[in-house]
Amino acid sequence: MVDAFAYVPAVVLLPFFSFLVALGAGKYLPKGGAFGGIAATAGSFLLSIWIATAVAGGRAYDETLYTWAAGDQFELTFGALIDPLSALMLVIVTLVALLVHVFSLGYMNDEGETGLPRYYAGLGLFTASMLGFVVADNLLMAFMFFELVGLCSYLLIGFHFREPGPPSAAKKAFLVTRFGDYFFLVGVVAVFATFGTAAFAGEGSFPALAEAALAGSGDVWTPGGLGVETWFTVVGLLVLGGVVGKSAQFPLHTWLPDAMEGPTPVSALIHAATMVAAGVYLVARMYGFYALTPTTLAVIAFVGGFTALFAATMGVVKDELKQVLAYSTISQYGYMMLALGAGGYVAAVFHLTTHAFFKALLFLGAGSVIIAMHHNEDMWDMGGLRSKMPVTYYTFLAGSLALAGIFPFAGFWSKDEILYEALVHGLNEPLLLGGYVMGLLAVPVTAFYTFRMVFLTFHGEPRSATARDPEPVRWNVKGPLTVLGSLAVVTGFINMVPVQKVLGLEGIDYLHRWLDNEWGGIEGLSSHHYADIGPYSSGYIAGGEVPTVLVGAAVSLGLALAGLGLAWRLYNVASPTEHTAKLGGIKDVLYNNYYLDELQVWIAYRTEDIAGGSDTFDQGIIDGVVNGVSSVSLAGGSRVRRIQTGLVTQYATMLTLGLIALLVVLGLNGGWFL
Amino acid sequence: MSNVTAAWTALSPALLLGLTGLALLVVDTIRPNERSNTSMAVVSALGALASLSVTVWFVIAGRGHVDAGGAITLLEGAVKVDTLALFFTAIFASVTALVVVAAHDYFHDHANPAAFYSLTLFAATGMALLAVANSLAVVFVALEMVSLPSYALVAFLKKNRGSVEAGLKYFLVGALSSAVFLFGISLVYAATGSLVFGEVASAVESLDALAGVAGIGIVMIVGGVAFKTASVPFHFWAPEAYEGAPAPVSAFLSSASKAAGFVVAFRVFTEAFPLGASVAAGIDWALAFAVVAAVTMTLGNFAAAVQEEVKRMLAYSSIGHAGYALIGLAALSTGSAGNEAVMGAAMAHLLVYGFMNTGAFLFVAMAERWGIGRTFEDYAGLARRAPVACTAMAVFMFSLAGLPPFAGFFSKYFLFMGAIENGFLWLAGLGAVNSVVSLYYYSRVVRAMFLDDPATPSALDAIDVRPTALYAAVVFAAVATVLLLPGFGPVIEAAEAAAAALF
Repeated sequence: MVDAFAYVPAVVLLPFFSFLVALGAGKYLPKGGAFGGIAATAGSFLLSIWIATAVAGGRAYDETLYTWAAGDQFELTFGALIDPLSALMLVIVTLVALLVHVFSLGYMNDEGETGLPRYYAGLGLFTASMLGFVVADNLLMAFMFFELVGLCSYLLIGFHFREPGPPSAAKKAFLVTRFGDYFFLVGVVAVFATFGTAAFAGEGSFPALAEAALAGSGDVWTPGGLGVETWFTVVGLLVLGGVVGKSAQFPLHTWLPDAMEGPTPVSALIHAATMVAAGVYLVARMYGFYALTPTTLAVIAFVGGFTALFAATMGVVKDELKQVLAYSTISQYGYMMLALGAGGYVAAVFHLTTHAFFKALLFLGAGSVIIAMHHNEDMWDMGGLRSKMPVTYYTFLAGSLALAGIFPFAGFWSKDEILYEALVHGLNEPLLLGGYVMGLLAVPVTAFYTFRMVFLTFHGEPRSATARDPEPVRWNVKGPLTVLGSLAVVTGFINMVPVQKVLGLEGIDYLHRWLDNEWGGIEGLSSHHYADIGPYSSGYIAGGEVPTVLVGAAVSLGLALAGLGLAWRLYNVASPTEHTAKLGGIKDVLYNNYYLDELQVWIAYRTEDIAGGSDTFDQGIIDGVVNGVSSVSLAGGSRVRRIQTGLVTQYATMLTLGLIALLVVLGLNGGWFL
Repeated sequence: MSNVTAAWTALSPALLLGLTGLALLVVDTIRPNERSNTSMAVVSALGALASLSVTVWFVIAGRGHVDAGGAITLLEGAVKVDTLALFFTAIFASVTALVVVAAHDYFHDHANPAAFYSLTLFAATGMALLAVANSLAVVFVALEMVSLPSYALVAFLKKNRGSVEAGLKYFLVGALSSAVFLFGISLVYAATGSLVFGEVASAVESLDALAGVAGIGIVMIVGGVAFKTASVPFHFWAPEAYEGAPAPVSAFLSSASKAAGFVVAFRVFTEAFPLGASVAAGIDWALAFAVVAAVTMTLGNFAAAVQEEVKRMLAYSSIGHAGYALIGLAALSTGSAGNEAVMGAAMAHLLVYGFMNTGAFLFVAMAERWGIGRTFEDYAGLARRAPVACTAMAVFMFSLAGLPPFAGFFSKYFLFMGAIENGFLWLAGLGAVNSVVSLYYYSRVVRAMFLDDPATPSALDAIDVRPTALYAAVVFAAVATVLLLPGFGPVIEAAEAAAAALF
């Protein structure tokens, strides 16, 4: 029997090879190297399934594959960690990447884009980086692939580099996420300094050492005698900086809407399975560490809840299809952070899974609409596309129902579980309860903007010539949509916790059992372990668990339906009109994204002096020292050069004097002359 | 009987070099009309390669290794073949092979090149003998055996004033240094009553009142070593000899001859004057080496930074590298477990240096063969006409500067790390500062070759020949410099094993 885990590196390397092939020989290949990418991601997908099956067969894998630097204190290594979480994520990433590759045939090749080898090379590297990040067995390796993911997003968002918008958006995405990554990098160094290791799993891993240190049985380094728990909170928040940047959480979310300048399949990949997912995945990966620090958890939950509501409100007024989706992404990742902060590890992973499918679906659906509309993204120019592109419509509808959290679509189950976890854990925690309230308020807003988008795009009368006669799309667009559409409907059934609780049907919460190592996994990386070390206790309303489940689900579903109903009333008419004027002054605030971009620019200008000061320091002191050293060396060199007079008698003199000097020094030192 | 024969075969690397030199001399003497530059070069190269092969075979077979019966001694203990000797013989033989191959093109129009080959091989024989010397008398004889052919080699271009003048200066400074060295040996003999290292070492432990005499003798021996390694204050001959000599000779002297100085130093100072006993007697020779190393690397690098001619810059850089290698002797401390590491690193640095420095001088030889001038400006735009050779030169420069990913980075890294671990942070720090300075002047060469435009469009028209053998030698040295990176593990292990046998 061949060992599935022996092929873990291949999962990462296959897309990497497709990157090399597309880069080197893409020009000579049919379709600009697309088939290589499809074959590679398909191969990775099949291998991932196989690996997941092996995990389901009760096994796990944690190996160091390569030590690239070894010191006395610690080793820097590359390794692979396959447990239920990473196996699940591998399947998601490879599946979405595969579908995005196929979709790109329709979106890029059929539309006659140029520079395709560059595009497919970017997709390949993007996928490979994300897969490397997923299988990483230590924080440093994760950081390196995290950065590669950031680089690839830069390359792909700026794909149309000849237009003014994309390069600027790419730069923004790179810089804003980089800002968060600085903290992450400091956090990585702090983890090494504190624990001497950055491994995620095993006896000597840093979450295990942190747990031991808090229990008083271990000894770790802390700066300046800081308390262990305080220091862990600081380290956790530092790493969280990278997460906030990549997962587009408030206040570093501003890059994501701009990133819509990239080709739509890339947006699908970024939002569903790679870059944005990386942040949340990282918290889940090292949840054993975060669960130890209640303060960090509370911060995560509050930021998540706030982002969920905050981004949703901005999505309400957007006119462009992809912009609405962009804000919905920010908002949905806010939910995941809320779940993680609320101790709902499984809920977060659940939402990550369902969201990956329905958001990829929505983006690819939007891509399909954009093809049909000849790259006009303004929803006010659309309308009535329902009858002209039924496959896109029905799949998009499925995705929207999932996003809005309507029973029984995928999003309902995962969002409901998040809110439930936040509620039961938050009854004793005010910060968490605040997160829950904001998450709950975001539900109707989400449903509203989602269906505003659906109605404006597909319902009513066509509002432009292109909408009356849209361009047809081919199999390579419809195929991925169908696959994802089906998944958006059924993925929720992998974890029907409410049904289990209400009806008492044991064993249908498959995801819970999967992440709880019920089939296979690594000791210390299971959801019940996280629950054990976590700070939360459960409280119930309405007198017990079952009523709480029912009330929670009913409230969130009711709110979602209310939002949907409002959108129906306002926009599901033959010729909808803008209602944003009714919002009054808030409208401008929302249109301008709460002026956060302006705030960042303002802050940038205010900090200009600091930057200028550092520049002066760099130019004056640092460079001055360097230049000074070089002038001194050159002057010194000229002097030394003058010793070499060319007269051999002087050489003999100096040689003798030098020897005598040496004799005297050593003689005095050794006491020979006494 | 067979034991004696077996012991003598251990000397075969040195004997092969010497016999080749003799054969060349005989042919040159009795059949002067039939000699040809090519056949001479081929024979000498084969001789050097045969010696190298035997040496490498011995190293691999573990001959003289501690685990395989230990060192092989001959002639009443005056000669000793061990891993250290074999390691350095490999350096000498490699450099000799490179130099004689390159010389074939360099002396293509010379009237009588035969003497060059035999002199080079005799000098190499002397070096191989130095590596196995286990008595101060053998050391002195072998040292002279290296020096005398070297003087002649520097002055080999008899019609070139620079060459002759450099040879004369080298000879005068050399004579003075030899006198100092010999005086030192006699003082040590007076104090200890022996010339064989092992007996000297046991006598050093009970010097009592004679400590001052022995101390002066030892410092004078330090002086002799400093002459051979071109270290301050015995370095004065080096810039002029390296500059005036034919470039292959400069390569030979600055790589092989310098390494020969170091093998003597490593052996004499660890086996004849063990640090613990010497310090107990008040003779802290490691301090002397620390002073010499610090001054040498600083002077070499700072002077190199202000040179206008590439060859002279390389001459000073060669002095600077002697300073780095001296760290291997300076950063020792009594009984420290890190001694092997730092001395092994110095040996590995000398091996790497043998290739990169020889290659750099041979590139200069090629430039001289083309006749394009000697300054940095004259090298401007060279990469357009000779991209392969210039790439090789860039490899040498960056490796000499100690930039990753070249072999020079690793050897320097291990050297400095070893020094730090032995508590000589200041010496390693000084070495690092000097490396930064060196980056400046090494990169000047690369910039001139690759980035600058030639002064006049016709400046490079002189490059009309492709000296095949020179090219081959330069490219081989470059390949070796690059391949020593993945192959650095075995090299440093062999070097540390050689050093371990000394302590």
